[in-house]
Amino acid sequence: MPYHEFECSKCIPERKQHAVVKGPGEDLSMALPLGYLNTIPGTISERGCAYCGAKHVIGSPMKDVIHLSHGPVGCTYDTWQTKRYISDNDNFQLKYTFATDMKEKHIIFGAEKLLKNSMIEAFKAMPHIKRMTIYQTCASALIGDDINAIAEEVMEEMPDVDVFVCNSPGFAGPSQSGGHHKINIAWINQKVGTFEPEITSDYVINYVGEYNIQGDQEVMVDFFKRMGVQVLSTFTGNGSYDDLRGMHKAQLNVLECARSAEYICNELRVRYGIPRLDIDGFGFEPLSHSLRKVGLFFGIEDRAQAIIDEETARWKPELDWYKERLMGKKVCLWPGGSKLWHWAHVIHEEMGLDVVSVYTKFGHQGDMEKGIARCEEGALAIDDPNELEGLEAMETLKPDIIFTGKRPGEVAKKIRVPYLNAHAYHNGPWKGYEGWVRFARDIYNAVYSPIHKLSFLDISKDEIPTDKGFETATMLSDANLPEEITKSTTLRQYTGKYDSVSHLRTKTYPEFEPKLTAGAA
Amino acid sequence: MDDVMKERMEQLLDYIMKNCLWQFHSRSWDRKIQNDGVMGKTAQLLCDEPVEINTPLDKCHWVDALCLVEDYRRYYPWISDLSKEEIRQLVQSVHERLDHLTITGSLNLELNDKQY
Repeated sequence: MPYHEFECSKCIPERKQHAVVKGPGEDLSMALPLGYLNTIPGTISERGCAYCGAKHVIGSPMKDVIHLSHGPVGCTYDTWQTKRYISDNDNFQLKYTFATDMKEKHIIFGAEKLLKNSMIEAFKAMPHIKRMTIYQTCASALIGDDINAIAEEVMEEMPDVDVFVCNSPGFAGPSQSGGHHKINIAWINQKVGTFEPEITSDYVINYVGEYNIQGDQEVMVDFFKRMGVQVLSTFTGNGSYDDLRGMHKAQLNVLECARSAEYICNELRVRYGIPRLDIDGFGFEPLSHSLRKVGLFFGIEDRAQAIIDEETARWKPELDWYKERLMGKKVCLWPGGSKLWHWAHVIHEEMGLDVVSVYTKFGHQGDMEKGIARCEEGALAIDDPNELEGLEAMETLKPDIIFTGKRPGEVAKKIRVPYLNAHAYHNGPWKGYEGWVRFARDIYNAVYSPIHKLSFLDISKDEIPTDKGFETATMLSDANLPEEITKSTTLRQYTGKYDSVSHLRTKTYPEFEPKLTAGAA
Repeated sequence: MDDVMKERMEQLLDYIMKNCLWQFHSRSWDRKIQNDGVMGKTAQLLCDEPVEINTPLDKCHWVDALCLVEDYRRYYPWISDLSKEEIRQLVQSVHERLDHLTITGSLNLELNDKQY
């Protein structure tokens, strides 16, 4: 696989080793982009910092916690609310964010007193929340505040509270991924094993690397509950602080986003002997395999199969309606980390999309190995691209759509390429069978948006057609489809509800007889 | 290995690389354990031999192997026509190639970091 040199980056020769093209007959041992390295001076990266990775991505989705940043208020503001990791406790962790609001005087005189006052004030303001995570920032790290000592003091003075300290300042790694690593290790070192959870099933898992983006976790937990599997904790979307202290009691770690959370799975395996099962929650086939694997592990594969059959029968005709209309559309798959490999093969297989490029902002070489292995020949794989490289790639590859974050996404819009938010989604959840159809619907709506077509007209010079009415998305997508597709009585558009998650919170589940009782009977 | 077997080996390998995740743990020693565990059990299952499951890790390997075998039989029906010896040879060559792509020939610079 040859390295790819961008015209715009010829003045930064080090960038050449960060992009490759997957050629025919070539494999991973021939070329692999460099990854997880410090950003090269002169290239304007789109990455986040290690504090952001720890707090925004992994810490904050914990739902019953006061998330307090020890630093300038801007740090906490910029990591507040933008990722739609909802929760079933009225979104406490989204509604509120806390900061000690460090100023210049604290840099000179120290901010430990400020920290202690802020912690006590926050607990008093939120008397129903007894758990707190403190996030170190560059400012508090550089002046050497002893956050752990203050946390101990507060826990001594307020015996009903528990505090977790995350020392991951912004400079503690090349990207947000450094923060993922730090908070994983800090959590297992400080908190796992400090709480004894109630075990209610013969089959107990931790669901790891899942952040409940628009309800993903709740959709997956619904499947597990229908199988009679107890999800002891979720690391960390919609997850509870105390449940996560009890991770050591699970029988299996089911790992979704290996990029952000494989560290804690590896440590749980080494320290507690809990094995790690990597799964894909996206796409009908990979999800079916995942549920079946969890079922097989516990010897309850029949329960998994019943769910697979029911969900596939319900939603497959809707997925196929979109697949027929998305066939051959070109996509740049440019997410942050894990979705480049979670989606690379399955959007091709199940939605007919052609992945012409994959990139990762903060992924490691291991993510590129998976992504390149899964995408089709000819795809351009880029590590940590800058904005100009992104533009050059879009101008060369001419994608019909890109899946990326909001910063590069807004850039794409300017050159008339529609984008979907790969991090926070558009109309998610996108996990689960129904979720996968919702994703297909979002792609369809983006690609065939009549507004998008109109956006190519420049009213300052183009002739504006006044003899035609407004075109609909269906008129655009069905123009060249055969009648057996357009008139199909089996295929149909998405028929689910606007909110596919809330009803899961009040749902009742079958009770399965415990293994011992079943044996005695 | 003749051309037919080589092509078949590539098909089986490509299926793993495209659809599985177990071969991509983050460290070389874990990849070795994973590849040995899953490919070893895959050969046993394809040859209808008993599979030992003594530990939770064994169970994970068996789960991944069983799903792989089901898919191999579904997507590559020619596999049912092979003798046990041919299956063993084929799986062994897939295993060696997999080790090369993910461990010995891998360009991933993090594979030998001592800590997770």
